[in-house]
Amino acid sequence: MRDLFVAMFREEWRIHAVLFGDAVFALLPVLVGAMAFMGTFLVPLVNRALPAGDLASIVHALYLLLGVMVGGFGLVGNEVMNRRFGQASFVAYAARTLPLSERQIFSAFVAKDTVYYLLFWVLPVVAGVAVASPFVGLPPGAVLCLLVSLPLSFLSGLSGLFLVTTVWSRSRAAFAVLAAVAVIAAGASVRATGGIPPFPPLALYRSFSWAVLAGTGIGIGAGFGVSLLLFEPRSPGGEHRHPDRFTGLLRRLHALPYPALTARDLLDLWRSGGGVGQVLFSLVLPLGLCWFLLSLLGPVLPPYGVLTLFSVLAGVLASTIYTWLTAFDSPGAYACLPVAPGDLIRSKLGLFALLHPVPAAIVLGAAVLSGNGPYAAPALGLMLGVSAWSAGIMVYLAGLSPNLLVYDPRVLFTYLFAVGLPAAGLIVLDLLDPWSGLAALLLVVPAVLAVRAAVHRWEEAEIFLS
Amino acid sequence: MALVIEAEGLSKRYGETVAVDSLDLAVPGGALFGLLGPNGSGKSTTIRMLTGQAKPSAGRARVLGVDVAADPVGVRRLVGIIPEQETPPSFLTAAEYLRFVSAVRDFAGGEKAAQWWFDFLDFGDKRDVLCKDLSRGTRQKLMFAQAFLHSPRLALIDEPLVNFDPIVQHQVKEFLVEYVKRGNTVFLSTHILEVAEEICTGYAVLHRGRLLATGRPDELREGGRHLSDVFLDLVRRERGHA
Ligand SMILES: Nc1ncnc2c1ncn2[C@@H]1O[C@H](COP(=O)(O)OP(=O)(O)OP(=O)(O)O)[C@@H](O)[C@H]1O
Ligand SMILES: [Mg+2]
Repeated sequence: MRDLFVAMFREEWRIHAVLFGDAVFALLPVLVGAMAFMGTFLVPLVNRALPAGDLASIVHALYLLLGVMVGGFGLVGNEVMNRRFGQASFVAYAARTLPLSERQIFSAFVAKDTVYYLLFWVLPVVAGVAVASPFVGLPPGAVLCLLVSLPLSFLSGLSGLFLVTTVWSRSRAAFAVLAAVAVIAAGASVRATGGIPPFPPLALYRSFSWAVLAGTGIGIGAGFGVSLLLFEPRSPGGEHRHPDRFTGLLRRLHALPYPALTARDLLDLWRSGGGVGQVLFSLVLPLGLCWFLLSLLGPVLPPYGVLTLFSVLAGVLASTIYTWLTAFDSPGAYACLPVAPGDLIRSKLGLFALLHPVPAAIVLGAAVLSGNGPYAAPALGLMLGVSAWSAGIMVYLAGLSPNLLVYDPRVLFTYLFAVGLPAAGLIVLDLLDPWSGLAALLLVVPAVLAVRAAVHRWEEAEIFLS
Repeated sequence: MALVIEAEGLSKRYGETVAVDSLDLAVPGGALFGLLGPNGSGKSTTIRMLTGQAKPSAGRARVLGVDVAADPVGVRRLVGIIPEQETPPSFLTAAEYLRFVSAVRDFAGGEKAAQWWFDFLDFGDKRDVLCKDLSRGTRQKLMFAQAFLHSPRLALIDEPLVNFDPIVQHQVKEFLVEYVKRGNTVFLSTHILEVAEEICTGYAVLHRGRLLATGRPDELREGGRHLSDVFLDLVRRERGHA
């Protein structure tokens, strides 16, 4: 079990090191640390603008979100093993031939993911903050607390999502009950405390207590434990049979440029358990969390400000729909067909556009429910423009393997810069005049150009070989 | 008959490794051409270059008169291909996969051809099973059907027999022999020498990316020797030099 963990971790390192070079990959935590270091100097500034202490809530919520996103990546439905292990991990795959239970493999995989993200995304931040703390007068105790509370926030997200997804894959009814209980509990505690529901890791940061630490640990452990108990290693039923869905889809999609490729991607997404689940765990849940986070900023923003920021974030998140369509598709499957890489990219972007009513409905709902109905149009414009542009950049930088973004710091920072700059500009404009969100639609033009350049770029690469 | 595959100085380097080293090939139409060679000798790389899946580091190739570098998709439209590793998409059923291939190839007769292959290779009972749940051999049957669905004039098939049981192997070999008799060409890579000896009408032997010998079986088999002996001699002699 321990050996398996070590092997998986080595493999994870090696995959990335081979792809980007050891040095570049090892640079990632250094860069993250440096950003945290510089970011810390903003603390006094931000704290002046925000109600006291809220920056800490935001940072903790971000780590909670990171945990949710990491856990959410492909961990949906009965295809946990297939989707997570099939292509992602060779060691996990090979380990199936060893005398180990699938549960043990799963645990080792979880442990590896946890350590990887702690090492690369949590510890560097704490280190950066620690180095900067004397300059901004942050007490050393607070830094020490961060060292505990940030990993716990991350793990809460991871464990919570594992719990929720395993329950989802077992029984939709049980999932509904769990979701209802969670919503009611959160609502009740918001009412009781008149604000942020008590999040144990954050409470720990505010005032350290062994009891809270133990309680949080037990809670997280229970989440992992229960999901491990409920975990169904293999989809039941052996051979899955399906009546022909392809022909019907093909007919309905005939107006698109690549109906066959699009129909295949749709079936893939749907049957891999990713239909409803993917939307729930990759869009609705993270966006719900985003809304909650942003509403903390409410007091310092104009009335529609939360919606503005939310729409921009929704755009960035909606652009990751592209990753749903690529994550479980290997270009090798087309090696024997008269299909060029550019056709694949374009067909996936077609489906990407076709799926956009989903995030559009979410933004629309947010606008109406938050009493900003009149500003629904610019909010939609912001979401669509930002999504188109970030997808264009993503496709240009990473072609058919958008997970490059998470692992190659050069690509990641180029992406963040290219997306962040116009997004920041749009936010400023929109805060000044809520209707300027419509200007975001202009981003569709450079997005189309980026896609053209991407097609050219990836036609040249030998993507059919791995 | 006219040449269906022409390669001149075709080479592929991966960093330090020279996978294929200035390969010259001329495969006439109607041949059942076997590309032989030990593991890692460059057979699959050659097939990938001929079908535009890999870009040659040097040299050029024409397949069915089409310049591969200029129009790789055009080549793949004309030929049928079985890649080295079978990879039908996981979440389509076998029948849907063949419909998908017909649609991508814009081939109208797909339904009939698919039915023929389900019957011929006896896996019609798996029509509605998701590809990911099929056995290796059945997936390979599906890849076979996929490559020949549109009755291409040329099929390039990489180790097509390895996952088949002896009965299916026999059936498939007969099919290939029949197929070239109808004027089509098959370019097949294998290291199963008996297969090559049994059915091929022309050979090329690769070793470390270089062409050791090429010709018709009777030319290659000097003095009534078995192909496997010739092959082993060639390779051993080559290794002795190195
Ligand atoms: N994508 C790649 N990257 C790096 N090296 C490669 C790649 N593909 C092939 N090679 C190398 O090129 C050489 C030839 O490989 P190839 O797969 O063509 O051999 P082969 O004759 O098909 O072998 P086998 O009989 O085992 O299938 C090998 O040394 C291999 O390691
Ligand atoms: Mg090979």
